[in-house]
Amino acid sequence: MAVEYDPAIIGKVFDVTDPVPVTAAAVRDYCEALGETNPLFTDEQAARKGPHGRLCAPPSFAVTFRNGRHFYQHVPRFGRSGFDAGKDVEFIHPIFIGDQITLSSHVKEIYEKTGRSGSMVFVVIRSTLGNQLGETIAHIDHRFMHR
Amino acid sequence: MADNNSRTFEDLNVGDPLGPVQLFVSRDQARKYARACGLDFPRFTDDEAARKEGLPGMILPGNMSLGILTKLVTDWLGSGGGLLTRIGTTYRQPVQPDLTLTLQGFITHTQPADRTAEIDVWLENADAERLVIGTATVHFPAR
Repeated sequence: MAVEYDPAIIGKVFDVTDPVPVTAAAVRDYCEALGETNPLFTDEQAARKGPHGRLCAPPSFAVTFRNGRHFYQHVPRFGRSGFDAGKDVEFIHPIFIGDQITLSSHVKEIYEKTGRSGSMVFVVIRSTLGNQLGETIAHIDHRFMHR
Repeated sequence: MADNNSRTFEDLNVGDPLGPVQLFVSRDQARKYARACGLDFPRFTDDEAARKEGLPGMILPGNMSLGILTKLVTDWLGSGGGLLTRIGTTYRQPVQPDLTLTLQGFITHTQPADRTAEIDVWLENADAERLVIGTATVHFPAR
């Protein structure tokens, strides 16, 4: 069965969040919860000698920023149950304490695959993170699988 | 655990391993991660609630698996100039807490022209089932 959807939804930004401040406490809590001990993310003095010259958040901190309240209303579901199938993250600029992060999201692509358990529809939502300086921090592609 | 080496692009060879690293994620740590990320949904914090959703018990958030594999790469890079520029993960099976996981990977490709390397990474259980698989790209800026 071919997947049917309105092609106009592809690429259209449907969700932009308010800026979220990056606090030292949030980064510290994240590092503790992940068991992070890398001095680039936990030791201010050691981080000064690192590639960014100061303490920054671990790269995967980028995925902690939540989409807006209406995000899931815009993720096509095709009337089937959905799962988080994976993520692709491109890290462009580090996240520093004091940054203000905004997310903007759009449907990147929709495709169908047939596996051992039958047909599956994948919806890829791209969220772009930006900071208060207008710099792009990361692109996160969320892959939702429906079957 | 993070090391303090300064891995350089010139050190890399296709086939070089990352890990294996053994990691035990407790229920409390999984809950702590979920709460730290605003993901404190019942499936990530409570066995009974997770079973009602058809899961075998509470599971780790997918983002936590991504974070664990990201950490495998950044620990391997150490405190030198190497940077993680991309990671992609596929969640093949739910990852449950209170089990020892093994994290590992290896270099699949190096690109001297832009000083990047491609790496396969995965997270497996005691039966060597790969629960989460992924690929990563690292970049070593010229000095």
